[in-house]
Amino acid sequence: MTTHRVSAFLAPRRRLRLAGLLTAPVLWLGLVYVVALSALLVTAFWTVDELTGQVQIEWTTENVVEVVTEALYRTVTLRTLGIAALVTVIDVLIAVPVAFFMAKVAGPRLRHLLVIAVLAPLWASYLVKVYSWRALLSSDGIIEWVLSPFGLHTPGYGIIGVVLALSYLWLPYVIMPIYAGFDRVPDRLLEASADLGGRGWRTLTAVVLPMIRPAIIAGSIFAFSLSLGDYITTGIVGGTTQMLGNLVYTNVGAANNLPLAAAISLIPIGIILVYLAAVRRTGALRSL
Amino acid sequence: MDSAIRLRGLHKRFGETVAVADLDLDIEPGEFFSMLGPSGSGKTTVLRCIAGFEQPTSGTVELFGADVTALAPFARPVNTVFQDYALFPHLSVIANVEYGLKVAGVARKERRARAEEALGQVRLAGLEDRRPHELSGGQRQRVALARAIVLRPQALLLDEPLGALDLKLREQMQVELKELQRSLGITFVFVTHDQDEALTLSDRVAVFDAGEVVQLGTPREVYDHPRNRFIASFVGSATLLEPEVAEALGLARAPMAVRPERVLLDAPAGGVPGTIAEVIYTGPEHRIVVDLDGLGARITALEPNIGAGHRRTRGDRVTVSVEPASAAPLEDEAA
Repeated sequence: MTTHRVSAFLAPRRRLRLAGLLTAPVLWLGLVYVVALSALLVTAFWTVDELTGQVQIEWTTENVVEVVTEALYRTVTLRTLGIAALVTVIDVLIAVPVAFFMAKVAGPRLRHLLVIAVLAPLWASYLVKVYSWRALLSSDGIIEWVLSPFGLHTPGYGIIGVVLALSYLWLPYVIMPIYAGFDRVPDRLLEASADLGGRGWRTLTAVVLPMIRPAIIAGSIFAFSLSLGDYITTGIVGGTTQMLGNLVYTNVGAANNLPLAAAISLIPIGIILVYLAAVRRTGALRSL
Repeated sequence: MDSAIRLRGLHKRFGETVAVADLDLDIEPGEFFSMLGPSGSGKTTVLRCIAGFEQPTSGTVELFGADVTALAPFARPVNTVFQDYALFPHLSVIANVEYGLKVAGVARKERRARAEEALGQVRLAGLEDRRPHELSGGQRQRVALARAIVLRPQALLLDEPLGALDLKLREQMQVELKELQRSLGITFVFVTHDQDEALTLSDRVAVFDAGEVVQLGTPREVYDHPRNRFIASFVGSATLLEPEVAEALGLARAPMAVRPERVLLDAPAGGVPGTIAEVIYTGPEHRIVVDLDGLGARITALEPNIGAGHRRTRGDRVTVSVEPASAAPLEDEAA
């Protein structure tokens, strides 16, 4: 009876209901997201006392200027961008045919199995997956064992290893939105295209791809932004390769320069904002 | 002359279910041909076999004398208007209509001219640059029509094209479809579950039930002489008379179907006496249900709404008669 009374009390009070529903999540979002992010941005304009290593609230643009002007940061930024772009392209190229097969070719049973298969790697720990790539890539690993009869060798630890491992890690995040995109293309449209004389290739390029373009972009946002911020994979299979994340990590830890780390981390944030602004026009953000 | 569409032994099974059972059918050039039946009766499957979206389990599909059973949809000289229109959502109206011409490699200028002509034929000029989601149901319907006829197919296949429209628009589109078919002079194959639509539009109607054609003929033949109970009750409304009742009414002693507008009340020659059980006012007419004395049967009559002169009410005594030529004997069924 009490629940009945509570709902009777709330039913006509729309604002109160809304407040009850939203207060907790909004507080959470506000604290964790906005405050933490703003703290980071603000820190970029502080300094570190060179003797004590303490962060001092002393306003300066020194860190940001250093990040923008020093060649090291430019090189690492370009390398990070290149890796992220390559990972994105590889993932999209793999994901489109896989997602097409899942959504349009496979029967319902096989489709469910494939969805589980695609999502299954997400249940394993990130570290386990990266270390398994380390084992694969090592000089006595499986890749070497398979390739050596053909006179080829494992790429070992370096940029190629990073690209391979990251492509593997983010693939499910790219397949799923593209799969959903294909799923939203009604079979009737494929029939209509065939009925009007369109063969398979024409139907693919003139009907299917334009319709799933937002889904492809949505998937690419995942692969691109996740790659941009990664540092653990680089540390494990990258050899001496450094990405922006590694520079941030070094400055937070070994170098103990939190303000500089914050300044460096502004770079990927900036890149992602530009990327999002560019894709916003395509309507892709609506299919995330 | 070859038939426009000739089906021989067309059989389609989905798993255990037989959708179409050994169908033979000839549709003539320039004919408005309807396939009428309840949902699941196999009519849409037949249409999809003609278009090439389904491969028959066995049997052949011939279009204008050529066996096309093995050909893909894009290689067949027919076009389809889909039930849900299946317009390309990312293309404008004009681009939708031009799609087939573009595939066929028609030059840009001619493409545009022909697409505009087709849009004119379906009375949809001026909306070329809209997207499908900006159109009303009726307008989408017209785009789908234009997209199909712009290719000048030898036959047009229409899968319940008016199903999603409201009544007023549907009636208007019926007239326009008929006019379009007459002016194009091509074969229309029209799938519908609406008996009214089939009767109004068609030169010939095939009535489908459980994967088979149970009656094939002109609308008049099918309506006036339904072959069995299913057709009598599915196409229009009818009172089914048991043999004894038919005999009492002066007809042959056999199961009969009689259309309500052919049932006469208080005819000068008299008839079977009865009591009015119900008077239903439908607007243009009164539907009068009569309990026939001593027969345990009911019969329905229609009388036009002639205004204040109509005075029949529940409980009135009347006599009921049926002209022998107005009743259709039904094939005796096992059931």
